[in-house]
Amino acid sequence: MDERSLKVTVDRDLEDLIPVFLQNRRKELDTLRVALASADFEQLRQLGHRMKGVGHSYGFDHVSTLGKHIEDGARSGDRALLEATILEYADYLAKVQISYE
Amino acid sequence: MSRFRVLVVEDDPDMSGLLTRMIGAEGMAAEAVADGDAALLHAMTSPPDLILLDVILPGTDGFTLCQRLKQEPATAMVPVVLVTALDDQESRVRGIRAGADDFLSKPVQREELMARVQTLRRLHEVRRELEERRLAAEVSRKEALRKAFVRYISPRLAERIIAEIEDEGTPFQRGAQRASVVALFADLRGFTRLAETTEVADLVGLLNEYFALITEAAYRHDGTIFNMAGDSLLVGFNVPFAQPDAAARACRAARDMAKSVEVLQTGVGFGMAAGDAIIGNVGSPHYMNYTIIGDAVNVAARLVELARPGELLVSSAALKAAGECAAGAQPRGQIALRGRREPVDVYAVRL
Repeated sequence: MDERSLKVTVDRDLEDLIPVFLQNRRKELDTLRVALASADFEQLRQLGHRMKGVGHSYGFDHVSTLGKHIEDGARSGDRALLEATILEYADYLAKVQISYE
Repeated sequence: MSRFRVLVVEDDPDMSGLLTRMIGAEGMAAEAVADGDAALLHAMTSPPDLILLDVILPGTDGFTLCQRLKQEPATAMVPVVLVTALDDQESRVRGIRAGADDFLSKPVQREELMARVQTLRRLHEVRRELEERRLAAEVSRKEALRKAFVRYISPRLAERIIAEIEDEGTPFQRGAQRASVVALFADLRGFTRLAETTEVADLVGLLNEYFALITEAAYRHDGTIFNMAGDSLLVGFNVPFAQPDAAARACRAARDMAKSVEVLQTGVGFGMAAGDAIIGNVGSPHYMNYTIIGDAVNVAARLVELARPGELLVSSAALKAAGECAAGAQPRGQIALRGRREPVDVYAVRL
């Protein structure tokens, strides 16, 4: 993962929304894991689609990029890509650094 | 001015929270609902100024909701911005067909969101201002019409004409028409002698008071004033609108007029007849009268000449139609009237 994608800048007036946003991403990560374990590709596609929309909107561009990979992987049934992306998502959420401007 | 209100329809709480926060930061009021059915209920009961609508929703989807909102009179004018994925061309085409006013791409760019909302806000404000001006112009047009009409007819009839004007046009602009009418004349007794012996100023004052009293009485019974000349007044019933009880109304109007002028301590006689007449605007382009012409008017005019103070002379046809109001009428026998070959059966009603 590119070091630069770990640094996120968020508008100051959105600061109080970020804890809930991150909490929801962690819940999302758990749901992704469960969906992958049960090979529920439709749910994986929907979750990927949502990540794609919400990530960039909050300034977390990498969440959108990962969401696109999950959406694509679910469409093509590419388990390896899905596994790698979910691992990367977990790593990203653990390391992301946020600053407010 | 009240705050610009935006309704956010979005099932994802993160997106919903973000959109309402960004809109709120610009000084607008934002409310959020999470599904299509709740959105429809909210929009119908309290229409917002703008709706940000996600396409994929639980229950009613964004396209169906957009279509419904555009069909309902309460929300048809509310701009709808559909929130779709940037690469989703198909959704945009469906959105246009559903009546969406604009689109916003997901992921949402703050600058793009605000630019679209502000543009629609300006448009909305211009539209509202134009609508307010149109309504004000409509009110003043109706007021001008009302003022013009109450010179001829009772205020109640004027309101009715104005209310029906868009369906039927104005009765005063129609060509002449033939109608069954009841004509009622009122005439001040002894006016000619009074005119010779009274000061001009006093005479005019008396006439003004007399006409004011009997005009108000005529209007109370929805009569239409057709002519005011010297000391006589011609009131028509069953015109310009149908009055099934026209003769009874005319009789009651005569009683009301007689009672009203008691304060003047001078007698008034009345003549009333029913029959066909022609009603229309007669005159030149420079001077025009809304006029009633016909046998009923001629007969009523002759009868009023013969009526004693406080007496209503009625032709037999009008008497039958007047019912209760003319109870106790006394026959005056057949009276030959000027300009008529056949004599007329005349009855006298004490007012």
